[in-house]
Amino acid sequence: MTFLLDLAIVTVSCLALGLASKYLRQAAIPAYIIAGIILGKSGFDFITSYEFVEWLGKIGVILLMFYIGHEFNFKGIKEPGRVFAGCTDFFVNFIAGFSLGLVIGLSLLEAFILASAVYISSSAIVISSLIENKRLIYPEAETVVWLMVFEDIILAILLVVLTSIMSGSLAMIPVSLATTLLFIVFILVLIGRLSNFISPLFERDDEIPILLIFALIFGFSALAPRLLDISLQALAPLLGISLQFHISEVIVAFFLGSALSGVKSFRKLFGATISFKNLFLTIFFFSFGMLFQFQFETLSSAYFVLALTALITISILGKFVSGALIGKRLHGSLETGLRVGAYTTPRGEFSIVLLAVVIGMETGNYELLLSLVVAYVIILSLIGSFFAKHGDMIGKAIMAGINKLL
Amino acid sequence: MRISELPEIGTKYEIESPKGDKVAVIFLTTGEIALYVLEAGAEKPSVTRLTAEEARRVGSVLTGAMLTIEHEDVEVSFSEISDLRINIHICPVTKYVIGKSIEDLAIRKKTGVTIIAVSRRGQSIISPPPEMVLEEGDLIVVIGEHEQIRACAREILGIK
Repeated sequence: MTFLLDLAIVTVSCLALGLASKYLRQAAIPAYIIAGIILGKSGFDFITSYEFVEWLGKIGVILLMFYIGHEFNFKGIKEPGRVFAGCTDFFVNFIAGFSLGLVIGLSLLEAFILASAVYISSSAIVISSLIENKRLIYPEAETVVWLMVFEDIILAILLVVLTSIMSGSLAMIPVSLATTLLFIVFILVLIGRLSNFISPLFERDDEIPILLIFALIFGFSALAPRLLDISLQALAPLLGISLQFHISEVIVAFFLGSALSGVKSFRKLFGATISFKNLFLTIFFFSFGMLFQFQFETLSSAYFVLALTALITISILGKFVSGALIGKRLHGSLETGLRVGAYTTPRGEFSIVLLAVVIGMETGNYELLLSLVVAYVIILSLIGSFFAKHGDMIGKAIMAGINKLL
Repeated sequence: MRISELPEIGTKYEIESPKGDKVAVIFLTTGEIALYVLEAGAEKPSVTRLTAEEARRVGSVLTGAMLTIEHEDVEVSFSEISDLRINIHICPVTKYVIGKSIEDLAIRKKTGVTIIAVSRRGQSIISPPPEMVLEEGDLIVVIGEHEQIRACAREILGIK
């Protein structure tokens, strides 16, 4: 019954630290990671089967991507300035992260991964903070929500690009993108075709709907990459070259989610999948922390502390700069823009998910990068929630500072 | 009225008055409804979160559907049949109807409203017979749609 003990350790510790963080009105994500660090490999080493907890965590990532795919709503792109806002957010923050990565001595690939982690804000923290801090009536709230949607699109693209770089070469990127695109079309058409058949199944009152949804999620994300492999091999003689290509399971889950959002009767069931997502995603954060190889010498070295401080400073500055540009263009006000910057400062789940999906959790080669991003996310989710909460005051203070200087 | 979709949050309906006051209603994905009021020039909005039931009550007050009579008005809805809303209203009898029988008044024929009970001297008579004559001090309990009840109050009871 050791698995039960493991489950008890995970759920009880996450519950305790999660409650504490809610009580202190802080983001819960770092609390779960810290619970994992304390009880896992670097800490008391209480877990019997790391593999088991890691598996459960992976389900969380798949469900998270499924959820995002489902909530993904592209309609907003038609509003004026939206594309500009999304691109500004991406270029400013990605370039800032990438340059800093190179400066602190990371390889090109590592700098690319770091830049992706720096760019992506935490939708979970940002959105709950908009609701809790009563910002929804302001026009910039819509801009911020839109930025979160845009970041989801970029996340999907980054994941495709990064997994293809990791499994092959740069030359594979166009092929990967094309194959993934083909694949999305395939999923969308298939779900469209099947919707007449599956739609009534979702309306049943027994266990069939929830079984069906998990069958679709697990079925697609397990079979799709294999199917692709087989068809690529079958195509190899025709094309004259053999293609090695890997499509990530989480990408499949993402597009399955967006395909299912078109099936009306699924809406009712979606609430149930959210509960599963919340549970397994918490386990994922724990498992990430638990596998993290915490090395005190590395973390306390002057070089590491300096790099981390620079990274955090650059990340905060980056969001304020992109926010200011967006605010000036979309809302005609620098102060509004600074508020956008403050609201989008928190980083969290996506930076960690990206890292876990792209390089796995237990590879020795990326030790510095892993430590850097884990420390980074823990600190920036806390600072970020503070910024998001006091966005209006921060915006005003910076404006006062700017006016004084001029 | 501006309507915008906020993914992962809900749907936002927003109105700005000529004075610059803003009111926003946000149907959250949690099923709750957030009601924002931001006065022109105010620093922070006032916000309340309503359940679906509370929001409907506020809504019916705002649409003026409730009658401006001192007595109570109850709306009954059923979770099974979501589009069925029965309005039960209590009206005091007025000089226009005292001394007349329910049959004579022909309330249902004229307005579609049905009298389901009469309260007389603290005693309730459920499903009163058509020949029952209304007396001073009676309270009549009627059901019908908002518009019908309003018509009944205006045309039969003479309440403006």
